[in-house]
Amino acid sequence: MTGLSRILTYNGIPIWRHIQVIHWVSQVASGVLVVTLVVWFFVNIGNAVRDREIPYGFGFLERAYQTPIGQHFIPYESSDTFLYAFGVAATNTLIVSIVGVVLATGLGIAVGVARLSGNWLLSKAALVYVEFFRNVPLLVQLFFWFYIILALPPVRQGYVIAERLYINNAGFSSPFPAANDTHGTLTWTALAAFAVAAGLLAHRLLLLRETRTRAASYPLALGSATAIILAAIAWLAVGAVFGESPLYLSQPAPQGAFGRISGGLTLSGGLIALLAGLVIYTSSFIAEIVRAGLQSVNRGQVEAARALGLPQLETLRQVTFPQALRVIVPPLISQCLNLTKNSSLAGAIGYSDLFNVARTMTQTAPAVSIFILVMAAYLAMSLTYSLIGNLYNRHIRITGG
Amino acid sequence: MGAVSSTSPASALPPPRSEIGVTGWVRANLFSSWHSSLTTVLSIIVLGLVLWFGLRWVFFQADWTVVTTLGGRMIIGQYNTEAACPGQNCFWRPQVAVLMVTALLGMGWGFTSGTITRRLTLGIAVILAAFAFLPYSRESMGWDVRLLLLANLPSLFLGWALARYTPLGSARWIAVLGIAAFLLTLVLLRGLPGIPGMQPVSVIYWGGLMLNLLLALAGIVLCLPLGIALALGRRSNLPVVKLLCIAFIEIFRGVPLITLLFMSQVLVPLAFPENFPQNSLFRAAVVITLFSAAYMAENIRGGLQALRPGQAEAARALGLPGWQTTMFILLPQAIRNVIPAIVGQSISLFKDTTLVYIIGMLDVLEIGRAFIQGNAEYLASAPELLIFLGLVFWIFTYTMSYVSQRGEQELGVGQR
Repeated sequence: MTGLSRILTYNGIPIWRHIQVIHWVSQVASGVLVVTLVVWFFVNIGNAVRDREIPYGFGFLERAYQTPIGQHFIPYESSDTFLYAFGVAATNTLIVSIVGVVLATGLGIAVGVARLSGNWLLSKAALVYVEFFRNVPLLVQLFFWFYIILALPPVRQGYVIAERLYINNAGFSSPFPAANDTHGTLTWTALAAFAVAAGLLAHRLLLLRETRTRAASYPLALGSATAIILAAIAWLAVGAVFGESPLYLSQPAPQGAFGRISGGLTLSGGLIALLAGLVIYTSSFIAEIVRAGLQSVNRGQVEAARALGLPQLETLRQVTFPQALRVIVPPLISQCLNLTKNSSLAGAIGYSDLFNVARTMTQTAPAVSIFILVMAAYLAMSLTYSLIGNLYNRHIRITGG
Repeated sequence: MGAVSSTSPASALPPPRSEIGVTGWVRANLFSSWHSSLTTVLSIIVLGLVLWFGLRWVFFQADWTVVTTLGGRMIIGQYNTEAACPGQNCFWRPQVAVLMVTALLGMGWGFTSGTITRRLTLGIAVILAAFAFLPYSRESMGWDVRLLLLANLPSLFLGWALARYTPLGSARWIAVLGIAAFLLTLVLLRGLPGIPGMQPVSVIYWGGLMLNLLLALAGIVLCLPLGIALALGRRSNLPVVKLLCIAFIEIFRGVPLITLLFMSQVLVPLAFPENFPQNSLFRAAVVITLFSAAYMAENIRGGLQALRPGQAEAARALGLPGWQTTMFILLPQAIRNVIPAIVGQSISLFKDTTLVYIIGMLDVLEIGRAFIQGNAEYLASAPELLIFLGLVFWIFTYTMSYVSQRGEQELGVGQR
């Protein structure tokens, strides 16, 4: 026995008691176990796919999808390929995500600030808002907005405001800028981007000048003026060179026997219900994050600002909020991610988001491949949001000096 | 030495009338400045309009018959239909499960004997018993159903007495009995072949609020230990374990739950032999648990990170081995720190049980929606039904968050 334990030692310690050996053995064991399970899972799926003659692979992406997509923001025909349809659906999700995040953040900040208002009535109203919308499942809220919109009059009897805005159970239509000539529009877009960059640069320089010389330099006003004036000059120049202005205002109007609205921008009922549900639901979470962030700022900061004579709104804007941002941003990012992921419920109310289109695709194309694509798309979106959020977080965190 | 006045100081004047009482409160909270006054006036106008139109709608315009028509179907789905339970009445089975729950609640009340638990458990039992007096016709709600509902009150007191006067009144016993009751509930609902009255009921007929509650309960109970394991794994200094845990957490957190549920329906059956018994309820429970565990792991990791390193060092200095340091020193403190996040995650899980509609399960929301879609005459009543369902969910979730807030105060979170 002693002979055996002398052989089975490592650095003079029996191997079954040697911490490094235990660590490595347990790690290798767990790694092998997990890898085996995952491999077993996918090999089984592979076998099933082969045995039951289920189609597989990514060849289908080149085929025509041949299914209409309800709402699309980039041009789409049924004859387009699966890959393109996938892109259309991803764009739909992205647009909901971006618009939703902006609106939910704005509303959430407003409600969060209202929650801390000195006005009793306002703060209690905000409390009721938060406690109600946060605690009711999103799907219930989505269905609620969806059926409310469905209860609106049909297209031909819909509400028309000033012959510009059409509200009916198919959705909401309003005038929207549309491109006249592709080259002119592209040129102007590029020039406008330059104008915005120039405006940002001017803002930055004026801000530096203001902090250095302490002379009022109006960075915000002059910076935006730079951007707007340059963009306007570009507009006129493009108009002169290409013969027509880069964008025109497309007006919605009823067309055809069914009075379908075409032209302008039509937001389908599903999209409005989705945005309403997502924005209200997420804003109730953001409001709590904002409240916690504002409360985390040291009382002395507020008192000092008041002592310096800053009015209440300025105290919030210049003293409390910038400091609260450090606490607010990380959970805010995760709420934005949640909003993006929650937008996958869109299928339930008839909006063609990424998941809904992918689910329909599984009827005519291999499900395994589609789900790999969908998961990759959602993971990519999550990671992008995290990256942007983390960069911003680094920008606003406390730095020495 | 300065002159010292020999007369006693005059008694303090009372504060001005405008600073105390109702007037003072109104001045301070509603009209402290011109913009506060403006806000108050605007809020009163908006709230008045909302209340006026809202109440008018609720009492005079809304048609609540959709709620009464659906009635018990929202609670147990198709469980008691002829297809699920031919030639028998199976309604008593979920009701007995509810009786076990009230008995357990009674034990919780007897064990903690706190005001909140008393109010809460009594409230639940009284509400359940009150359902016995619903004005339903004899056929749809017989005397047996009503009696079993009334039995919730004695059941609560029985549990209370057990916890007070027998050795069963300890946290460990209540936990063991709770798990036993949960398993017993599953057996009761599923049925046992060969026993009279216990005819097997396929899980495809399990539905309604019962389904939401079962999934939520299973998920909440299972995702906590799994989440703790993942959090510890992610903080472990073993690179392979750490990598596996990070991969699991990030993949499950990065993808919507609805995608995972749908995938479990499409892919998982392919991984098993064709004649392998498949059960969508079990799959849904597993997916919801795994998804929730990934979030729970991050919450608990946050709690662990907030602990000062001195805690672990002190435990090591006392000679506690690593696992004991984790189990008895770090985890209890970490979990107490993140109770709000854990409860928030549990609430989220409960709300997420509505997503099982994607795999064709009839939870309470899907039953309502399918009913509206299938019966055109009720299409206009959709908002009424959804408001009702929203309130039902709200009562459950708000109770959870209320209990957690009060529990936090009792545990003194943030005060020590």
